[in-house]
Amino acid sequence: MTMLPTYSSQDCPRAWEMMPWVLQKSATQEQSEWLTHHLAHCSACRAEFVQQQRLHQAMSLPADVEVDVEAGLQRLLGRVDAPTVQEQPLRARSGSWLTRALVAAVLVQAVGIGALGLKIGSSSEAPAYRTLSEAPPAPVVSGAIRIVPDANMTLADWNALLHGLQLQVVGGPNDVGAYTVAPVGARRATAHTLQQLRATRGVRLAEPVTDTP
Amino acid sequence: MNDADITADATDRMLLQRMSAGDRAALATLYRNYHGRLCRFLSRLTRRADVIEEVINDCFWIAWQKAGDFRGDSRVSTWIMGIAYRCGLKALRQHGDEPVEDSHIPEERTPAIDPEEDRELRDWLSKGLQRLSTDQRVVIELVYGEGHTLDDVATIMQCPVGTIKARLFHARVKLRNVLPALAEGTVTFKEQAP
Repeated sequence: MTMLPTYSSQDCPRAWEMMPWVLQKSATQEQSEWLTHHLAHCSACRAEFVQQQRLHQAMSLPADVEVDVEAGLQRLLGRVDAPTVQEQPLRARSGSWLTRALVAAVLVQAVGIGALGLKIGSSSEAPAYRTLSEAPPAPVVSGAIRIVPDANMTLADWNALLHGLQLQVVGGPNDVGAYTVAPVGARRATAHTLQQLRATRGVRLAEPVTDTP
Repeated sequence: MNDADITADATDRMLLQRMSAGDRAALATLYRNYHGRLCRFLSRLTRRADVIEEVINDCFWIAWQKAGDFRGDSRVSTWIMGIAYRCGLKALRQHGDEPVEDSHIPEERTPAIDPEEDRELRDWLSKGLQRLSTDQRVVIELVYGEGHTLDDVATIMQCPVGTIKARLFHARVKLRNVLPALAEGTVTFKEQAP
């Protein structure tokens, strides 16, 4: 239950609402004059206005809690000066750490993606297969030929053959008795050389060596 | 806004502009100009002098940092009171378990020169204000103490104008109810917003 002034006329609510603004002088002159006129013949609103004036007067009194303005100001100025060496760098540093951490994370991701890409790229190349019985692949000489001589072929015949075709042994013999020969110098073995080898008595097999099986 | 308010606001804006350029003297001037009204405003929230000073300094610390961001949509006083209000609420939350309300004013805290009439007025006001909620006390202070308009108070408290109007109405009703000495020709009825 609440006590309110008697509204003796329809103008009373308007007067009630207008009082604070007239007291703080933000009402227009017309509004102030209207209220003055209303108060002149409305005792209830007049009593309320007196109380409002008292409230306004009481609220205008200075604070009853004493706070030293100069001491407070000195503390504030000390705080203003302090951040330039404490708070701001701290904030800047924390910001740059965050940035650095993000950059590092992006770099790590980039390196990881790159490594993965390289791995996938290399695995997509044609694999060099070989059987378990096959010897580890020797360095392939360009234009090399693999020859399997007959067991009855003499060393003199073998040397004469190689010398005649300007070939030299670069590998072998392997487990099955095959030699790898290559042309002397930078010259490539021709199809003719291969035909001559195959036609030579005592050569059981002559096949060009390719880079991949 | 009357001529005095316009002049005061122009001065405040100039001080803010200087503050944005790092002028500490402008900060000191604005601090001294607002200290009294901020003390009174914040004393409606807490009776502790140390908390009031802490809030005032937090308020001006923010004003110092944000002076360059002031857009001028409101008066500088409205802007500063808004900052002080939010800092005050934050302080109330931080010191929530401490006695920030003190209905009894210690003798040593009252100003040395306080006429008997003023003391009576303070006591009269104190009896009324302690019956109000924090929001209602703030609205009463901003309207009657600081002379802010409803729009200003709505800006300061970040509420719709209708909410402020309702708070003001209910605060006045309560004050009249607990301070009946001057009430004449009253009737009893249920409280309802206008």
